[in-house]
Amino acid sequence: MKPLMLQGHERAITQIKYNREGDLLFSSAKDVTPNVWYSLNGERLGTYNGHTGAVWCIDVDWKTTKFLSGAADNTLRLWDVATGVEIGNISSNSAVRTCSFSYSADLASYSTDQAMKQECEIFVVDARDDESFKSSAPILKMAVPDSKVTSLIWGTLDHTIITGHEDGAITQWDLRTGKSIESVKDHQGSINDMQKNRQGTMFVTASKDNTAKLFDVDDLSVHKVYVTERPVNSASLSPIYDHVVLGGGQEAMDVTTTAAQAGKFDARFFHVIFEEEFARVKGHFGPINSLAFHPDGESFSTGGEDGFIRVQSFDPSYKDFRFDY
Amino acid sequence: MKMHNKDMIKSSWADQVEDQSEKTTLPQPKVEQHGNSKIITEYRWNKDDKKEKVVRTYKIERRLVSKTIAERKTWPKFGDSRNDKPGPNTSTTIPAEEIQMQFMSGKDGDKVEENPLDKLKNVNMNIKCRNCGGEHWSFSCHLKGTGLVIEDKKLVPEKVIEPEKNTSTNRPYIPPSAREGATNTAGKRDPYGRGYDEVPAIRIENLSESTSEADLSELVSKFGQVARIFLASNKITGACKGYAFVNFKAKVDAERAIKGLHGYGYDHLILNVGWSTNNYNKTSY
Repeated sequence: MKPLMLQGHERAITQIKYNREGDLLFSSAKDVTPNVWYSLNGERLGTYNGHTGAVWCIDVDWKTTKFLSGAADNTLRLWDVATGVEIGNISSNSAVRTCSFSYSADLASYSTDQAMKQECEIFVVDARDDESFKSSAPILKMAVPDSKVTSLIWGTLDHTIITGHEDGAITQWDLRTGKSIESVKDHQGSINDMQKNRQGTMFVTASKDNTAKLFDVDDLSVHKVYVTERPVNSASLSPIYDHVVLGGGQEAMDVTTTAAQAGKFDARFFHVIFEEEFARVKGHFGPINSLAFHPDGESFSTGGEDGFIRVQSFDPSYKDFRFDY
Repeated sequence: MKMHNKDMIKSSWADQVEDQSEKTTLPQPKVEQHGNSKIITEYRWNKDDKKEKVVRTYKIERRLVSKTIAERKTWPKFGDSRNDKPGPNTSTTIPAEEIQMQFMSGKDGDKVEENPLDKLKNVNMNIKCRNCGGEHWSFSCHLKGTGLVIEDKKLVPEKVIEPEKNTSTNRPYIPPSAREGATNTAGKRDPYGRGYDEVPAIRIENLSESTSEADLSELVSKFGQVARIFLASNKITGACKGYAFVNFKAKVDAERAIKGLHGYGYDHLILNVGWSTNNYNKTSY
């Protein structure tokens, strides 16, 4: 495969996300401007200028009209995808760590960091139009006293929110009561990323404890465990095959203090059911911070601590590959 | 006479070319289209004020996409990209080098991370630790860094727990094929029955630090078919540690290589070449 390298960021990539059809790829980094790219040829469509801090999280709605970004400048901003114009801005008391549209994108939820005396909170806001977004009174506000939220997704039929926490816990929140329904602690380290499968019935976590696990969206039971020897920063399920790709590597802070062993920054492909690794793709020279399968399953993208995004289209050898069992 | 000379120099063709290049403007960019490919030729000044020709070849693909995607394709660029021309901007989009997906064969995915020194262990060599005299490399000695050195052999603990060894005794290593109960069909001459042990390795010493495996293979392949080359190199920097082992397919070639390379000046050093195994055919050299 001949990857495309997208060099639009000056600092480490924090998150990349495809829109529903997969023709656009959104990216954010620890610099202040999220970017949007055409995924087919790597052409940059535009940048969303306005943030003044590292952008931690991004999301795009179902129709690719609205784009959400949360940053360390204590704001959550809503943008018009097509023009890059800011159409909403909510201030919070600490950095916005995670954000996510509901399936319909009528609602959006975000969480803020624990800082000084400010505790971690999850908010649900109305994202239907500018007016409701700007009215800044959240529909729901849930305090998270113990461990801060590091990843967030919406549950089945937008009835629940599922959050992954710094201590490895995963909690399901009921939106009607604003209380937690269920909480499991199957990970020992911070949950860096959660991504649902195409059907929305399961999600895969990526944790600092060197594992990725496959959970059921509704009862949070663990189905499968994928073990590596480095922290996992992101994991994504293939929409067409029983494959899951894991990205990670040594923690950025340890890279300079340990021997530079090659091959720890690969994207690693596991079989979802047999939990076995079957392929690797090299490329980055820093840990992979975020990765995503294209919604058609024919390519995938990775964003690394090195500031590059790599768009890789699979060769026929990948499609011909049959897992031996 | 002098004047004449000056005129001669001024009208030299080299000056003319240079003068011209300073005066002329850049040619117009050219766009050619042949079937499915589009070739854009542009000219620009590089940092030495020299003209540069940039040729880019694009493949044009037609795809049937949904209306929404087609509409998004027509959106004007915005933000930092608003001044970009149609098509990928070379400052933000770079085609990367061709890479291959590496498929794991077999069940064990960790086989990829193989210690190159493990290969050496299979060769019939006497590995002896300088610290404690155990059968491991000095750098992997359990006493390394503790400051303890055992002078008296009796002080060596009988049951040393070695992470890479199954046996806890100090017996010399016996490969599985030569152990009791193993079926050895390779004949009696060679108790180990290994392909490259039949022709012992030659040891090349006093190599320079910059020697690479390719250099070495170029050097030794003159003498015959090479079965295997091991170049000891620093794991981190990749620099050569100064010695290497080479297995030839035929013993004659190995002997010729020793004769030919011993005392041979390579890089700036004089090579020292001999048989690697201390118990094999020492008389020949």
